[in-house]
Amino acid sequence: MTNSAIGAPARALLSTPGDRDFRLERVFNAKRERVWKAMTEPELIAQWWGRGNRLVIERFEFERGGHWRFVEHTEHGAHGFEGRYREIVPMERIVSSFEWDGMPAHVAIQTMTLEQLADGRTKLVSTALFHTAAERDGMMHSGMEGGANQSYEALDRVLAALG
Amino acid sequence: MVQCSASLDGSFAALSDQTRRGILERLGRGEASISDLAAKFEMSLTGIKKHVSILEEAGLLTTVKVGRVRSCKLGPRRLHDESAWISAYQQMLAERLDHLETFLERTKGNE
Repeated sequence: MTNSAIGAPARALLSTPGDRDFRLERVFNAKRERVWKAMTEPELIAQWWGRGNRLVIERFEFERGGHWRFVEHTEHGAHGFEGRYREIVPMERIVSSFEWDGMPAHVAIQTMTLEQLADGRTKLVSTALFHTAAERDGMMHSGMEGGANQSYEALDRVLAALG
Repeated sequence: MVQCSASLDGSFAALSDQTRRGILERLGRGEASISDLAAKFEMSLTGIKKHVSILEEAGLLTTVKVGRVRSCKLGPRRLHDESAWISAYQQMLAERLDHLETFLERTKGNE
């Protein structure tokens, strides 16, 4: 447990295990059911997810494979965020992809886990894993281009056979 | 880090406009000339050039002049800014959780 006094919400504990992932912990002064509801009911999500900005929930298919799309409207314009749900375990866990419109196809996989603490508070652990350019570039040099060329050669052979 | 945030702010400002986001989306599929973009977004050449120069300043777009045609493509910033994007993501998430905490406090005893 944390060393903060009971009843005082603990600040986020942030650690960065690597360059492309991180972990954030928060303890809320609320039961897990309330935290889960706030995170999964659109009319409640709209009251906090936008960080004080007006939030429009354009899509919210809360099921495995379902698509979510939330748009924050600020005086400077709109910022859209979206992804798909990979895993949902009621009251426990939500795993989804996360993209910002401004960095299209730079996908993070985020996991939110809730744990009911004995004192009635709830611990939220949030982790995110980013797919980075470095990793993609590594792939480019490790035979993906070769693989594509092989595919083209195979296609050439098929086309040649078709005459 | 401060520099990263400042440059990301530039990206946010550059991306705050629907036409500019549209231009990047279009360039994500391949290069286009200023006049291609003007036609696609039904704008004057001057209007499109203004958006292009804002995106260019933010490093999100680069232009090359070939003969009489100015061709636009996505800029170098997209790849280099990933660490800035990751830290912006962390900051946004922390802010969201602050607001969730405030929301939970505010609605305490409602159920």
